Amino acid sequence: MAKANKHRARNGILSLFTNLILWVFSLSCVFPLIWMLYSSLKEKRVFNADIIGLPQSPTLTNYIRILSNEDYHLAEAMTNSLRTTVLSILLIVTFSFIVGYILSRVRFKLNRPLYVIFLMGMLIPVHSLLVPIYVVFRSLDLNDKWYTLLFPYVSFGLPIGIFLVEGFVKSIPISLEEAAAIDGSTFSNTLWRIILPICRPILVTVAIIQVFSCWNEFSFALVLMKSVQLQTIPLALTQFKGQFASDYPKQMASMLITMAPIVILYFVFNREIIKGMVAGAVKG
Amino acid sequence: MLETIRPKKRTLYLYLLLPLIIYVFTVFVPLVTALFYSFFEWKGGPEKAFNGVSNYIQLYNDATFWKAFGNNIYLVVACLVGQIGIAFFLVLLVNSRQARLKSIHRTFGFFPSTISAVCIGMIWAMVYHNKYGILNWFLTTVGRPDLCEVWLNDTQHIMLIVTIPLIWQFIGYYMVIIFSAVASIDSEVFESAEIDGANAFQTAMRITLPLIKNTMLVCVTLCIAGNMKAFDNIYTMTRGGPGTASMVMAMYGYKISFEQSNMGYGSSISVGIFVLSLLVIGGSQWLVKRITRQVEV
Repeated sequence: MAKANKHRARNGILSLFTNLILWVFSLSCVFPLIWMLYSSLKEKRVFNADIIGLPQSPTLTNYIRILSNEDYHLAEAMTNSLRTTVLSILLIVTFSFIVGYILSRVRFKLNRPLYVIFLMGMLIPVHSLLVPIYVVFRSLDLNDKWYTLLFPYVSFGLPIGIFLVEGFVKSIPISLEEAAAIDGSTFSNTLWRIILPICRPILVTVAIIQVFSCWNEFSFALVLMKSVQLQTIPLALTQFKGQFASDYPKQMASMLITMAPIVILYFVFNREIIKGMVAGAVKG
Repeated sequence: MLETIRPKKRTLYLYLLLPLIIYVFTVFVPLVTALFYSFFEWKGGPEKAFNGVSNYIQLYNDATFWKAFGNNIYLVVACLVGQIGIAFFLVLLVNSRQARLKSIHRTFGFFPSTISAVCIGMIWAMVYHNKYGILNWFLTTVGRPDLCEVWLNDTQHIMLIVTIPLIWQFIGYYMVIIFSAVASIDSEVFESAEIDGANAFQTAMRITLPLIKNTMLVCVTLCIAGNMKAFDNIYTMTRGGPGTASMVMAMYGYKISFEQSNMGYGSSISVGIFVLSLLVIGGSQWLVKRITRQVEV
């Protein structure tokens, strides 16, 4: 009996520590979000007096000031990020699907060379392209346009997308397409009507991986975009950091507004998102 | 390969043309251009003067560039230990019988890796702020105001200070990857280990780790590649400062090219980043493969 009790006590302590460590870590991950949520409801004066306490008289002034002042271009930045992200994802998913399928199924002379060229994109350290891309785009007057960022985002997203689709198509039995061919289906018809629906899960994975990297991308936007009207969110945020240097509640409010779509998306679909990101990371 | 339906050559190339053009234009054209301009003295204006390899000689002797490279290596090593090490430890905890509410830890833990590096940088700049930062508030509250300082100006410890946010942000990311690998191990393996009297540490090192070796290698590769391109966090928190104390390669290339508008030398730095990153990533792959093979023999 005594021995069993001792055992149980030891287990209890172990369990306490295990859960304690996990909770410290997990809470540290969401604490900044919570801290920003309630601190953004304070006036600057109140925040500076007490940075950690809950707001005594919560106010939305910071949000109203940020959203009503056109000089901050926050709504424009949101629109720009949304447009860039949506278009990039559409292009990445479509191109990955087409190229991935062709490379996986069609025998032609350039098949292997093309495969190698696209795979090389995963090995190339993209940050060495920061300066060169600017040089090339400026000389062709392609920088600082609404479509500028589509080039790097689509190009850097393609290799992993093609790779995932190529692997997925290999697992589809070829008899499906052969049967379609006997029924007189053309290549394009088979591609869009038969293969596309089957590939849906992997295309969703590709889209999930890219949503976050496009929405959050900063360095290429910094280098390629100059006009305030065309800035994406991360770029606009770095400007707020300068403008609101000593006004933390305002910085927090602006961050929260821009984070909102991604935070909501994450907490609603976190299972699918985590699964997609892991699949992308492990297979890539 | 498909034999029954062969698309017409025209259809095939029509499909491939647009993606290929965009991709080659954005990835390969700039690479070649950078190589070309790296042999010129070029301040961004209309005049360019060929100056042979002198940019590369300058690069070779540029102490700041090599310091930036060293800082990248520091980030890689610190994140390998911090991110993957801590992630592995937390996975063991989550997997233990005692852990409760596992899916909450997964959801919360993964959350920071979905936020932009700019936001993370701004949040941590707030944490580190000397007057309104949480860190100094905490030190004051626990009665050690003597330890308070202007963290982002601490030249001596700046690399550690900018690495902590980076480590913290991605622990959950690696945790989830490692967790899914551990979950795919047959639970009988752990049961028989327990029957044989293996303790938790032995099980982790001798059974779990070898069984998820491939996933760990993926994590190592991701971690190295990710930290060789560090830029966003550094840009938001310190811009490489104070002085050049937290300079990383991409930041240095940016500063030379855009703040000093020295495009010629900036191009050589880009080529340098390209070569060094490939060497480090390739070299580490080779090293890891060698080590793991030796362990197996």
